[in-house]
Amino acid sequence: MFSQNPIMNGPNYSFNDAPPKANAPEGARQHRFDPYTDNGGSTLAIAGADFTIMAGDTRLTSGYSINSRYHPKVFKIGGTTADQHDATLVLSVVGFAADGEALKERLDTICKMYRYRHGKPMSVKACAQRLSTILYQKRFFPYYAYAILGGLDDEGRGAVYSYDPVGSYEREQCRAGGAAASLIMPFLDNQVNFKNQYVPGSGEGHALQERERNPLSRGAVEILVKDAFDGAVERHIEVGDGLQMMVITKNGIEEILQPLKRD
Amino acid sequence: MEFGNSGSLSEDGIHVDMDRLKKGEVNLGTSIMAVTFKDGVILGADSRTTTGAYIANRVTDKLTPVHDTIWCCRSGSAADTQAVADIVQYQLSLFAMTSGKPPTTQTAAAIFQEICYANKDRLSAGLIIAGWDERHGGQVYSIPLGGSLHKQSYAIGGSGSTYIYGFCDANWKEGMEEQDAVNFVKEALKEAIKWDGSSGGVIRMVVLTAKGADRHLYLPDTDYSVRHDA
Amino acid sequence: MPGFDFSNYNRNAALHARGVPLPKATSTGTTIVGCIFDGGVVIAADTRATSGPIVADKNCEKLHYISPNIWCAGAGTAADTEFTTALISSQLELHSLSTGRKPRVVTCMTLLKQHLFRYQGHIGAYLVVAGVDPTGTHLFTVHAHGSTDKLPYVTMGSGSLAAMSVFETQWKPKMTQDEAVELCSQAIQSGIFNDLGSGSNVDVAVITGEKTVLKRGYVRPNERSQKLKSYIFPKGTTAVLNEKIIRKEDLGNYVSVHELSTTEEGGDKMEVDT
Repeated sequence: MFSQNPIMNGPNYSFNDAPPKANAPEGARQHRFDPYTDNGGSTLAIAGADFTIMAGDTRLTSGYSINSRYHPKVFKIGGTTADQHDATLVLSVVGFAADGEALKERLDTICKMYRYRHGKPMSVKACAQRLSTILYQKRFFPYYAYAILGGLDDEGRGAVYSYDPVGSYEREQCRAGGAAASLIMPFLDNQVNFKNQYVPGSGEGHALQERERNPLSRGAVEILVKDAFDGAVERHIEVGDGLQMMVITKNGIEEILQPLKRD
Repeated sequence: MEFGNSGSLSEDGIHVDMDRLKKGEVNLGTSIMAVTFKDGVILGADSRTTTGAYIANRVTDKLTPVHDTIWCCRSGSAADTQAVADIVQYQLSLFAMTSGKPPTTQTAAAIFQEICYANKDRLSAGLIIAGWDERHGGQVYSIPLGGSLHKQSYAIGGSGSTYIYGFCDANWKEGMEEQDAVNFVKEALKEAIKWDGSSGGVIRMVVLTAKGADRHLYLPDTDYSVRHDA
Repeated sequence: MPGFDFSNYNRNAALHARGVPLPKATSTGTTIVGCIFDGGVVIAADTRATSGPIVADKNCEKLHYISPNIWCAGAGTAADTEFTTALISSQLELHSLSTGRKPRVVTCMTLLKQHLFRYQGHIGAYLVVAGVDPTGTHLFTVHAHGSTDKLPYVTMGSGSLAAMSVFETQWKPKMTQDEAVELCSQAIQSGIFNDLGSGSNVDVAVITGEKTVLKRGYVRPNERSQKLKSYIFPKGTTAVLNEKIIRKEDLGNYVSVHELSTTEEGGDKMEVDT
């Protein structure tokens, strides 16, 4: 229903997408199997020098209703036990909650099996490739979920991999997903990668010098995440209730819960 | 608001487009009836109005006066039936003022029919007109969807009426006493409310006789057994 | 020609047939309520306006003036509620002037329903009409298709179910003014927190025989939280490819400017018939 923001995402129409009609017989009604729902919500991931922060709001919606005020979208993946105390990876999912849940369960099982068989946790790189395969296997009946995978790479640097519903993926510095992605992503471009920021007085016209990119501290990223979600809550009706953050460091994964506006 | 084009020209040649009840429109999915008895007529109705599955009003008054002792029961679109009743009420009061005497039920029914027939392609209104006048006593007229006019000794209408055709046919008696007629209407509407999901709430009645209009109200709390002040 | 301008109808119909969607109107996916008490009536509304899933206005006014003693809460298409109430307000004022009587709530309700019925639901105004007039206290709902209801407590808009659940559990006959205001406020807050189409603050209007009191922002349960960081950029952060400054004295080269002296009689004063 609200999967796209009509104002932000281009003209939002295409002449080629005109609804087919007129060839249906008089009085005919179309019945269709429609197994997907958009459950709203938003996620966010930022990779730091030696940490990764994954975040998501905890509201679950359908239409104008709130189904739950606490339904986590960010999960620890691949621990040896159910409580995931020794997990090293984090997966966030937005879109259709049921598919997100199923995808999480599948990936978690695979990571657990890998750890059992090899005696070591799966690397983010390997897990990222496996997740892509899982998604593409359902190319013609996709998981309606926008996934982001976070962890630390082999060198101990923060790693974020983002996906489309059919498995196309990419390693990135930061990524916002879900309902308010179009609101949060430009903010991230500006504040994480310092896009459209130049050094004052460094030149004329195109010769301006871009602001130097230096890795953000964990504290700075936590502040950015909170401010990003506070902003999204103000202007997107499907985002709110609670903010769940997972901070992945070499010492483990720390979970932080904060309240958001509930209207 | 887009109108559907799913209307089908059925065998009898009547074009009925059920999408005429537009999206989100307030609907009187109703149980209404009117019966003649020895001294006049009784109108009865449930009190439920719905928008889709939501009950927009649980104590609706679907019994609408168009003159002192000429009333109507409304079913179908709330907006359409209110608009039609308002026009007829105006016409009858004008008639009474210019002619200096009260209109007959037949006159009222004829005005209703005029509007319903002329605008049949734009209205979804199922009406029952019942009244008492000096010349003819109690009379009941029914105007279903197409705008035809039928004089009947009793009439039932609305979605709930389908459940009580058998009951009414079995229990109807010509020239009943007032109390018997009230009970007949009440029992019929109780059944209609019981079986029809779009009918419910309280039962309202109006008794029209030489003495004027008398309102009845029955609540579901007591299984519609006690008469309350309307 | 009075009324609406249909000159773009054919063009828009042709575009629509080729798959271009109709433009989205700002809708007040709303919670509005009304409740009668001993000696008057209170209406209340939330203050969120939406366009699809985006909040278009965080503090809009949904309580509309009709006459000093009649007010209207509006849900549905924002433009329709604003223009319809303004139109009927104007008609009622003229009617009141020509009859020399105070406007009545039934008159207002009848004008509204006849106007909306004429447009067969295309004017998407869902209204709660409330007021006190010489005939007493009144409360109505008017739906976009032109149907009306008269009830002691009413709710409308996307949050109407949440609000009605409060009324159906808490309402009692013969309430005091304070009780009615509190109940309406609770009903609106139920909409604000449980309906995504409603949000921000509670506006309340209390109408009695003596006067009307509009309480804008009666409850503000959703104040914006303080940002944790300052996002002020140093001057010169934004790239400028070229710069051209037009001074005020050179403005005359681009537009015709006439300075109106403030001392001069007339100016912004309105001409009044003698």
